[in-house]
Amino acid sequence: MTEKTGKYPTEPLKCWDKAKKIREDYYKDYASAHEKGGLRWAGGAWTFDAIPAGLGDDVHPITSEPYGASCAFNKEFSLKCLEATEKAGYARDLCAYMRNYWGSILLNQFAFGGPFPKPDFLWQDHICCSHAKWYQVVSELEHGIPHFSIDVSVGPEDEIDQNKIDYIVGQMHDGIEFLEKSTGRKYDDNLLIKAVKNTCRSTSTWAKVCELNKTVPAPLDEKSMYSLYVLGTLQKSSQAVADFYEELLKEVQDRVKRGISATPNERCRVMSDTQPPWGFLSVFRYLEKFGTVSIGSLYTFGLIGAWEVAPDGEWVHRKTPMEKGVSINDRDKALRVLTEWELHKPEWQHFYSPHLKSEMMIRIAKQWKLNGVMLHYNRGCEGLSLGIAENRLALLKAGYPVMVFEGNMGDEREFDMVRTMSRIDSFMETLGMKKDFD
Amino acid sequence: MITAGIDMGAKNIKVVLLEDGRKVRARAQELGGTDTRGATEKAFNAALFQAGLKMADVLHVTSTGAGRANAPYARDSVTEVGAAARGAVFVHPATRTVIDIGAEEGKTLRCDAAGKVIDFAVNEKCAAGAGSFMESMARALEVKLEQLGPLSMKSTNTIPMNAQCAVFAESEVVTLVHQKHSKEDIAKAVHDAIADRITSMVRKVGFENDVVLIGGVAKNPAFVETMKRNLQTEVKVLDEPEYVGALGAALVAADNEGVK
Amino acid sequence: MKEIDVFREWKKKRHEYAKDWQKRTGGKVMGYFCTYVPEEILYAAGVLPVRVLGSHEPQNVTEPHIFAMFCPFCRDCLAQGLKGRYNYLDGLMIAQSCLHIRQAYTSWVKHVPVPFSYYLCMPHKVQSKRAYPFLRGELDTFKKAVEKWTGKGISDKALADAIAVYNENRRLMRELYDLRKAPEPPISGEEVMEISLAQQMVDKKEHNEALKKLLAALPKRKRDRPAGTRLMIIGSEDDDIDFLHMVESLNKEQYPATFVVDEHCTGSRYFWNDVPDDRDLLMAIARRYIERPPCPTKDWEERKRIPHIMTLARDFGVQGAIVMQQKFCDPHELDTVAIRKELEKKGIKTLFLEFDVTVPIGQFRIRVEAFLETLKQDDLF
Repeated sequence: MTEKTGKYPTEPLKCWDKAKKIREDYYKDYASAHEKGGLRWAGGAWTFDAIPAGLGDDVHPITSEPYGASCAFNKEFSLKCLEATEKAGYARDLCAYMRNYWGSILLNQFAFGGPFPKPDFLWQDHICCSHAKWYQVVSELEHGIPHFSIDVSVGPEDEIDQNKIDYIVGQMHDGIEFLEKSTGRKYDDNLLIKAVKNTCRSTSTWAKVCELNKTVPAPLDEKSMYSLYVLGTLQKSSQAVADFYEELLKEVQDRVKRGISATPNERCRVMSDTQPPWGFLSVFRYLEKFGTVSIGSLYTFGLIGAWEVAPDGEWVHRKTPMEKGVSINDRDKALRVLTEWELHKPEWQHFYSPHLKSEMMIRIAKQWKLNGVMLHYNRGCEGLSLGIAENRLALLKAGYPVMVFEGNMGDEREFDMVRTMSRIDSFMETLGMKKDFD
Repeated sequence: MITAGIDMGAKNIKVVLLEDGRKVRARAQELGGTDTRGATEKAFNAALFQAGLKMADVLHVTSTGAGRANAPYARDSVTEVGAAARGAVFVHPATRTVIDIGAEEGKTLRCDAAGKVIDFAVNEKCAAGAGSFMESMARALEVKLEQLGPLSMKSTNTIPMNAQCAVFAESEVVTLVHQKHSKEDIAKAVHDAIADRITSMVRKVGFENDVVLIGGVAKNPAFVETMKRNLQTEVKVLDEPEYVGALGAALVAADNEGVK
Repeated sequence: MKEIDVFREWKKKRHEYAKDWQKRTGGKVMGYFCTYVPEEILYAAGVLPVRVLGSHEPQNVTEPHIFAMFCPFCRDCLAQGLKGRYNYLDGLMIAQSCLHIRQAYTSWVKHVPVPFSYYLCMPHKVQSKRAYPFLRGELDTFKKAVEKWTGKGISDKALADAIAVYNENRRLMRELYDLRKAPEPPISGEEVMEISLAQQMVDKKEHNEALKKLLAALPKRKRDRPAGTRLMIIGSEDDDIDFLHMVESLNKEQYPATFVVDEHCTGSRYFWNDVPDDRDLLMAIARRYIERPPCPTKDWEERKRIPHIMTLARDFGVQGAIVMQQKFCDPHELDTVAIRKELEKKGIKTLFLEFDVTVPIGQFRIRVEAFLETLKQDDLF
């Protein structure tokens, strides 16, 4: 139902319920995988989930960071998980998602009900210090689960060479051997090729959706985007996710055509960075009072989105290999295509230099027409907070007002709601934005 | 035309009455305690009494401070950052950087000639508040808070102390006391540690002259000296430093009444 | 003891040493972060590699660049750069391992001018056979960059000579460590830390000469206190000499204790294994760095650190271990639970302490004394 309470008409997203269902089914499928003789596995959101897809259509993953975030949504449950992990001797400054996840295992409580379903194997990628070690500990907590992690730390996208690609592809080949050995299943290259194509399609399409937020007024706000981008972090290689993003794209294109806005009184545009404090997303609703919308962030755009710089300098979705006429006929080719595709991931670049990220952030600020930036100095994730202080300096130098708030994406004890709101008030004051309503 | 500013600080409530947006008629403060409403009423009445005015004479009240949302009498509010900038530039027009160290929070901001805030930073988790830390250090050394500054200025030795974590620093002080370092040297180490934390914060935002200091801790001459040394620039302490926030709020109230 | 003092002086006057070395030899000095840097290639190019370490002074300059939740060590290192203490460096590089220290490198190269800088993608999956050709390829690229920087080629002979010097250095250090296996080691843990820190700051040829002199003199030396409880350091990055000094100078009647071995970033992990024989010199170097005792960031999927630690504990007769945990060091925090569990299983008690740039030495003393007391009590039974 379209409403017009302010300057622009607003409308809830039609595909909302579908997104919810995909997410619900995902966790159900994981938990009930064994019931029909299927397999289940666990890994990070960035893992090459296209590869285990070659083991069959009844192989269901759970990805660790979104699961950690799901725990964090439920503050009571999260606190129990965090305390269980601390009791087991793990430090409080470790990745908050990880601590929630481990706590869930220690308590043997699945965030979606029932006991924690033990995965049959662990399939991870490694770029931040915690990634592979997360699952090293998981295996220890569960008394041994076959574990394979792929090291992807080969350098920034503009320095990719054959040696680096060979390193990753080589590990992938070894990984497929590992998968066959630990599951006893024969690997199906056709399923792999399908999954790789889905990965390219879903991540490219998500970027197309984010591009539409260059429009004034923005058709989507970041809080809504969190519920949509998450599907890519669950299983970017699945047909359901790739198809859903194409459906979403059509709907958002339609919203743009009709001038539908995420915020009724948009007059100030900002972006955020790093994961939000999951237990306190009301911070984004609070911005609405100032007619301010967060159009997204490098995090929302680039965690799963695939991007490139067009000849005219605009940041746009990356064209898929299929669109470029590249044919994928065998296992090795599929793995190479997948590797090259993922190495361009925007959120992998700052691991080598924050200044690469600053460039991207400034480009977003320009092209998405921003008035300011809100950086979450996220104590819960050293990987995505890496170099954030330098990003701040670079954005200020480029002329963008920047606000900083300290917090933790997954540990609510480290987030001060009152102080953060006060800081937002001060920031809005400096941007000259007054509240429309209290 | 009388406006009022109420600074609902973490520890103390400050009230300033302002005439025609330019002349301060009264200043009063009261310890917040658990009954902040009662404390605010007391402070407000004390200010009215000082100025020889009645409540009805006050046209517009603006609040600021941590508790500004619950300030009695206030029609609207302005953030502490905005109030500090406005108040500081009023008192000292050449102000371009304000360092405000209160009981629980320290902040720094840069502003323009009109008192508009350009950028700001507030002390974060790893730089626990200066005012209350000073108090607990004074207790550990068994001296009165006002004596801590003068004591440190008599020191002749620099002892490095952890400038990062207030908890670590506190246990370091215990160690120093047991190691029989003089109270003067320990007091100086405490000042250096706090000044280091505040300086870190100031460097984040950068500073431009004139740099001014407001808030309760500004009344500590040793702290001021250390900040001057750290920043290698003149640091001015504004008169009645703990009232600058409330003054800023009173000025904003006058702005909102259309007073130029 | 003058044979030890030479190392102390080197460490204390590290900047003067490097500047003097530049004058003496006309060579370039490369500052580096992280012990995965392939020093042999630099040395073969006539470059002196010096490890960047902090100065343990509180500072207020890194806040705009590195957010306070990252380890104190990386901020202390960056502070040295921002304060101009390393202005004589001709180059600065890092071999990728942990995240935190990368920030010291990336902020430094942006805000402090350095003529040459390099980020080496040292692989993390050292347990994969794929790491070998990958690293060899990266080393080849690195070698070419160094040749371009110095303006001259690195011959195979120069590389072989550098490997020989470095291997001798490692052998001599292991010999030094062997002396600590004795019931009454002739050298304290504090003294050894001075020596291994100096090792990361000076020309290895000179370090070798000094080590030879020391090894000749040590067997005759008797310390003025009993070895007492035999302790091991398990660590992340730590170079807190003052702490070791405190532990080893506690009341010698009540709490005699000596650090007899260590497994940490700035200690034995740095020099433990040699470059193996291999006709392909770059592959030999790659093998050495892949197969060395791993930094926590590279110890997966299996835990290889633990068997190594247990072997050291056994060989050196360790009775208790002190975990010197650098505050906020995630990789090490991910290892300590498993390591402590394994040690305790084998009857080696552990004490966990968290380190910052400065530490509450008084509080630490109390905890160490209590720890030593519990170890003594165990002896009684």
